Amino acid sequence: MKTFIVANRVLKQLKGDKRLLILSIVAPLIIIYFLKLLFDAFPPNVPITNFTIPIGALVVHFLSFLLCAILLVQERTKGTLERMLIGGYKRSSIIGGYTLGYLGLATIQAAVVLIESVWLFDLDYSYNVLILLFFVIWLLAVVSVMLGIFISTFARHEGHVFPFIPLLILPSIFLSGLLINTDELPQWAAFVGKCLPLHYAVNIIHEIIKPVFLISETYFDFAMLGAYVFLLWLCASLSLKETE
Amino acid sequence: MNHAIEIKDLTKKYGQILALKSITLNVPVGTIYGLIGPNGAGKTTLIKALVGAVKPSSGHLNVLGMNPINDKWALRQKIGYMPQSAALYEDLSAKQNILFFGKAQKIENLNQKTDEVLQFVELTDRANDLVRNFSGGMKKRVSLCCALIHSPEILFLDEPTAAIDPHLKLQSWNLFRKLANSGVTLFISTHLMDEAMHCDKVTILMNGEIIAVDTPQKIIESGKTVLTIKDNGVITTRTIASTPEGLANELLKLGLRASITEISATPDTIENIVLNIIKKNQIH
Repeated sequence: MKTFIVANRVLKQLKGDKRLLILSIVAPLIIIYFLKLLFDAFPPNVPITNFTIPIGALVVHFLSFLLCAILLVQERTKGTLERMLIGGYKRSSIIGGYTLGYLGLATIQAAVVLIESVWLFDLDYSYNVLILLFFVIWLLAVVSVMLGIFISTFARHEGHVFPFIPLLILPSIFLSGLLINTDELPQWAAFVGKCLPLHYAVNIIHEIIKPVFLISETYFDFAMLGAYVFLLWLCASLSLKETE
Repeated sequence: MNHAIEIKDLTKKYGQILALKSITLNVPVGTIYGLIGPNGAGKTTLIKALVGAVKPSSGHLNVLGMNPINDKWALRQKIGYMPQSAALYEDLSAKQNILFFGKAQKIENLNQKTDEVLQFVELTDRANDLVRNFSGGMKKRVSLCCALIHSPEILFLDEPTAAIDPHLKLQSWNLFRKLANSGVTLFISTHLMDEAMHCDKVTILMNGEIIAVDTPQKIIESGKTVLTIKDNGVITTRTIASTPEGLANELLKLGLRASITEISATPDTIENIVLNIIKKNQIH
């Protein structure tokens, strides 16, 4: 019950901060448009459809992580997180509430990125594929929110979140299979790439955008994303300290 | 006398830093208990230990008969905590903030209770305004409402009057007195020495150690009063004890003579007395 109270408050707060709300929805739209401009300049033999949705997923992954981590660090610096804990909200309610609240925004981000990508790149996917693509991006956003909550525990102020961007997001771009297959990387780099949640989301996307795909080929990757959600939830719960 | 708070030999270490050194004190029910000291004295650490946000390194704590760490969930229903910063959601209205913190507790008629606390701090007409548009003093009042919403038996207020104007400060202390009169125990920290006068009992804390515990009256009496006498047109000054007896004795010695045309007594301010106590301890 208290989880929903926290989630409701997060949503009200996001609704109240119109600038943040608009930026977090408009920013991915602009990035996808820039991607369109870039891909239009590529030679026609480049299979851009292999990159379009995975890069859209990366944008949602990055923004959800950043937004959640920064807003949670703000809660710490302003003392509201401590006040919630002393005021009677339990850790599980706080983490559950944040996840639900930010997921509301992440769901909108996932939907707008997918709709814009399909429209701009004139992608011809069936409804089943579109629903699956939305679900993968959304699941990756859940991972990002959990990651944001977990990383926020290591930051004393908003500035501390930024060093995590090159540490977490850039390896995702280079090593997760987004640009080249992880099997073509040196063994150690492929291992690092396979430790990143984006790798499994990219695997699923690459499978389901094939003209004929086998859903059973995605089970392992879906399970890995699910495992990330659980593991990061556990880490976030354990790292949110109730006492100093 | 019943004690709302009992602290015995409380010590808190952060690595090699000793934030609280063997603190022992008792707070009677229904009193305003002041915790006075300069910045960094350990006031916030002590309050956080009492609300269960800081785990003591050693010693015993008892708040309303409960241990703040082991019984924290039961205890948190009976205590209210107002942190040093406003700790409010700026994008929510005053009422939404109070309702949010109120929903963490089991409160009947939460809406009605919210209206009552807003009325108590005289913010009814601004209830639906965003906190972002409030002054510092108004935010403090909303923060007090959040701490008060579940009718706690003890209120822990960390520097509640810091950075607010003198008029609002007085208004705040009047509110605290009203609460104490209704049976609530208030444990208030402040670095403003003159605020000791509003408390029933005061503990002066410095470098994590208690250096004095007394009533404000006794603290004032430990100071000096400068007596200025104009006798036959000649002005002389004497320093006497700041007690009513001290003044009476001095006046008796002077006798009532027609040549004495003016007598004025200037007692030490409580701020000076507390600062002197702190200075003495710094020297030792």
